[in-house]
Amino acid sequence: MDRTEKIGLGAAVAGHVVLFGLLSAGFLSGPEPDQPKSIPVDISLVDNVALEQTAPPAPEPPAQSKAPEIAPPEDAAPPAPAEAEPEPAPAPAPPVKQPAPAPAPKPVPKAPAKPVVKPVAAPAKAPPKAKPAPAKVAAKPAKAPSKPAAAPAKVASAKPSTGTKPAAPTRKPGGFTLSDSTLKGVSAAPSPSKAPNPPGATMNAAAAADIGSAIKRQVQPCADRQVNPGPGASRIVVTIRLRLNRDGTLIGRPTVAEAHGGVDDENRRYVDAVDRNAVATFMGCAPLRGLPPELYDVPRGWKTFSLRYKLPG
Amino acid sequence: MNVILNTDAATMSPIALFLQADWVVKFVMIGLLLASIWTWAIIVGFATKLGRTRKKVERFERDFWKAEDIDAFYRIEGENDLPIARVFAAGVSEWRRSTASGAVDRDGTRERLATSMGAAVAGEIDKLSDRLNILATVGSVAPFVGLFGTVWGIMRSFTAIASAQNTSLSVVAPGIAEALFATAIGLFAAIPAVIAYNRFSHGINRIEARLNRFADGFHATLSRQLESETRR
Repeated sequence: MDRTEKIGLGAAVAGHVVLFGLLSAGFLSGPEPDQPKSIPVDISLVDNVALEQTAPPAPEPPAQSKAPEIAPPEDAAPPAPAEAEPEPAPAPAPPVKQPAPAPAPKPVPKAPAKPVVKPVAAPAKAPPKAKPAPAKVAAKPAKAPSKPAAAPAKVASAKPSTGTKPAAPTRKPGGFTLSDSTLKGVSAAPSPSKAPNPPGATMNAAAAADIGSAIKRQVQPCADRQVNPGPGASRIVVTIRLRLNRDGTLIGRPTVAEAHGGVDDENRRYVDAVDRNAVATFMGCAPLRGLPPELYDVPRGWKTFSLRYKLPG
Repeated sequence: MNVILNTDAATMSPIALFLQADWVVKFVMIGLLLASIWTWAIIVGFATKLGRTRKKVERFERDFWKAEDIDAFYRIEGENDLPIARVFAAGVSEWRRSTASGAVDRDGTRERLATSMGAAVAGEIDKLSDRLNILATVGSVAPFVGLFGTVWGIMRSFTAIASAQNTSLSVVAPGIAEALFATAIGLFAAIPAVIAYNRFSHGINRIEARLNRFADGFHATLSRQLESETRR
């Protein structure tokens, strides 16, 4: 190691020390590059079914119609979900009274959806079922209501603005209680139909709106975390149904209704993603606190609660 | 949705990156840092030495061709340490040894002169290019060593991801950043080494060519002298 090498070594060490010193001192860090702004994702929890349930009490009269007439609607029911959307409103008026009898309690709201279908489907299958014993006829109608009911519900969720509130009641357990009662006989149907309604009064629109906004408030942080999967996804409206324990914890995963609103060619492939977002939103902030306990187990209480979810646009 | 990388100045600092790293990566980093220091020491030393040598060689050559009397010039410069002076001294001493006895074998003397001066040139060039091999080694190996550190660090951060069951950027990023730091140091050491190696080997080649030219010229002078002397 001669003199020049010693000089070189000294210079190299000094240079490295200076360089690393500058780096450590943040000489090169400078202003940070812009961090990607995280756009807060709002969900709009378009409010809940209970609001719409206050309407059904009125339509009692239709219950009086006879069992035979009920048959058609039942057959019509299966196709209904598919065809219901096109023209929910058009010709409902006349047929309403026929279908109504079986589903007595909440029939009226559903009616609009079915009418279109019935004329076609009914002739073929209706006769055979209508003739057998009244008891069976009664039983089937009972199921029928529940299915058709689901269809309108989705229609309603798809087009919130149309104001087809009747949709809401469909999901209700009321559908099952109804079926039991109808099994006893057609004549019995009308009276039970009234039973579900009175309790609904306690869960009125205001209470439902309160619960809805309480849930929304608690769920908002989780909703903000959801990532918008792609363009147009924010137009998708998901109807999500929560089943809750009395302490506000979820029973199982929230379920998402088949039908979605606002789906078009652009955002169709994001439907699943938005479904997941919706479920994740409610799972993530799961124990929902501060919901009024007195409204838990009432007929339209928040034991099961449906909400509409959508990413912000 | 607010997964924001912790990119304050502290995490960019080499010290912080070094301290966060795994010990294997630390070892790699220290090795590369030493290689970098050693490289730069060689670069600085070599550059000064090479420049000075070239200038002195030029001056010596000029002086030599101007000199009237080779014996007198040899008395002055014979003990000089310059490569070219060594070549000159090798030629002169071989000449003296060959012509010391009365009978001179001209062809044999020419051959011996050429050989001894060629050997002197080769020896001087060997001495000059002593450290160059270190530059070559650092230049070719440092990137791989750095890459090794990076691979190791990334393996480690993947393990961390697996154990955290979380793929968010805040889990992944720090480990990868510190792993990449190893590659950065490797390149930091290797790039100057490669550049310097090429530049210095070019400089050495030029000096070698100059020495060879000088040796040939001196050999021609001596062999001319040999002819005139034997004719006498």
